[in-house]
Amino acid sequence: MNKARSIKQNTLPDALPNFRNLGVTLRILLIGNGLALLLALLQANSWADVPLRMMQIATLLTPILLAGLLLLWALQPWLNRLAYWRGVLAVNVLAAVLTLSIYYFGGELYRPPGSADAWFDALRYLLFSVLVCAILLMYFRWRSQVLSRALHEARLQVLRARIRPHFLFNTINAVLGIVRTQPRQAEAALQDMADLFRMAMSDAQDLVPLRQEIELSKQYIALEQLRMGERLRVDWQIQDMPDDAVIPPLLLQPLLENAVYHGIEPLPQGGSITVALHRSGDELRLRVENPRASNGAAPHAGNKMALQNIRERLALLFDVEARYKVESGKDFYRVEITLPYMKEKTT
Amino acid sequence: MSTVELALRVLIVDDEPPARNRLRDLLHDCSEQLALEVVGEAGNGQEALDKLMETPVDVVLLDIRMPQMGGIELAQHLNKLPKPVLNRVEEPALNLSKWPPAIIFTTAYDAYAIKAFELHAIDYLLKPIRLGRLFDALTRARAAVPVQTEVLRDLLPEPRKFLSIHERGKIHLVPIEQVLFLRAELKYITVRTAEREYLLEESLTALEKEFATRFVRVHRSCLVAKETIEGFEKGGEDNAESAGWMVKLKGLDEPLPISRRQQHIVKEFS
Repeated sequence: MNKARSIKQNTLPDALPNFRNLGVTLRILLIGNGLALLLALLQANSWADVPLRMMQIATLLTPILLAGLLLLWALQPWLNRLAYWRGVLAVNVLAAVLTLSIYYFGGELYRPPGSADAWFDALRYLLFSVLVCAILLMYFRWRSQVLSRALHEARLQVLRARIRPHFLFNTINAVLGIVRTQPRQAEAALQDMADLFRMAMSDAQDLVPLRQEIELSKQYIALEQLRMGERLRVDWQIQDMPDDAVIPPLLLQPLLENAVYHGIEPLPQGGSITVALHRSGDELRLRVENPRASNGAAPHAGNKMALQNIRERLALLFDVEARYKVESGKDFYRVEITLPYMKEKTT
Repeated sequence: MSTVELALRVLIVDDEPPARNRLRDLLHDCSEQLALEVVGEAGNGQEALDKLMETPVDVVLLDIRMPQMGGIELAQHLNKLPKPVLNRVEEPALNLSKWPPAIIFTTAYDAYAIKAFELHAIDYLLKPIRLGRLFDALTRARAAVPVQTEVLRDLLPEPRKFLSIHERGKIHLVPIEQVLFLRAELKYITVRTAEREYLLEESLTALEKEFATRFVRVHRSCLVAKETIEGFEKGGEDNAESAGWMVKLKGLDEPLPISRRQQHIVKEFS
């Protein structure tokens, strides 16, 4: 029973969106105003009437949206601690209260003297704001589920890559090759292999400490170096790396695997992979660069999928705050990733 | 009977040092029951070819995926090359090796290759390599029939990276990207690079098929490297054979004639 559950739980728990993320803010504004435009279209009598209606709606909607975003930004740490459904309730209540108070304090702006029933208006706006709020939350929930699927896929891919015969059998063969003469090195190699498999098979996590990903990547490189010896060199430019940063799991390792398989292996003299990591203000910058044979073949489908998956996860997790750039020259290949710098939660 | 059993001479070819280590260990284990001798090791196809030209070898244990020149391309070259004369060997009786030597492929996993191996009964060993399998393969090796060139072409659908040219007992590996044109001349193909010419004993049609992405036929007897085409000029004679167009290649002074039938390439490439 317990076992079955732990397998199914390989998805992210529901969570409220990060209201401090620029992408989330933009999406809220866009969807809020989009719905308003739809409403204006419905109410209007003619095309010329649409902007007028839109203006009317915006006079109420804009202050609510902006104040709401500001409040959510401020309350983000508190909301984060709530269970998901309580969080949803809190956000809805917040929207409702905000709508009512802005309607009330707006005075004659929203209640021209002699107009219709004020109670009816208040109730109608209240209903509408809660509805919009719910739509937005549903949208973000859907997004996070897509994200968790992508994360799940990444894990499967890494697992598949680990079990990729080329890697697995060659590594076992290499360990067998040194077990008689260098038993200690053989032991270390088997331990590294166990760690790699463990990481690939572990439960889904949103973010992991950067140190951990570096450690994993170094173990991976050690295994490949066992086979390739001096031909594989890695220049770790990570002395300026922030020690408390967190990143999505399996972000660096697949990039390295790509660099080894397509960059270094086909070169008879081998070459050096550069891994550079540093913080720049609120951002974390990662660069992986490898030489490649000028007549090298195009990356095979499996690796394109791994890179595609990294891009997808970054987009879902950080939205517009993460960037992904690939530069492919005649004799080099470079991937640059920029993502927001986030600190480890100290608990 | 007093026939002395000659030790099986084995060459190990693999780009990974631990993999070579592993084979050496296993061969050592085998040597208790089977007379054999490791005569050398090589890290890629080219090195292996050099070794084979100077040492008699009976069996090659050959990795498939290696940088520069992989195992299957090496086997292709071995089939095309005549048996080297090894004047280094003092005692002619020892120089009994068959040519080409028996090949046992070693591979971590390649579903496609393994299927082909089984289909053509080519001997192969799966990594991690087992002692028993290696022993069996070695005992069979003496009787093994060389792998046919067409089969090798099936195994490696992509074109070779080198042309192997045999010249006065020496092997020249000419990288295919250095070749400007290939021209059929009586019995041979002239292979032209920026520096010099070589003679090759293959068929132009087979070369055209193998290197279709790289070369284009300009004449019944001539293939030119597409990326060296510099331009076209009117010049040559205008008759039934030729429409008077010539193709100019980078790094080559004299232009080559284009036949009437291939005239369309003037439009395609200019």
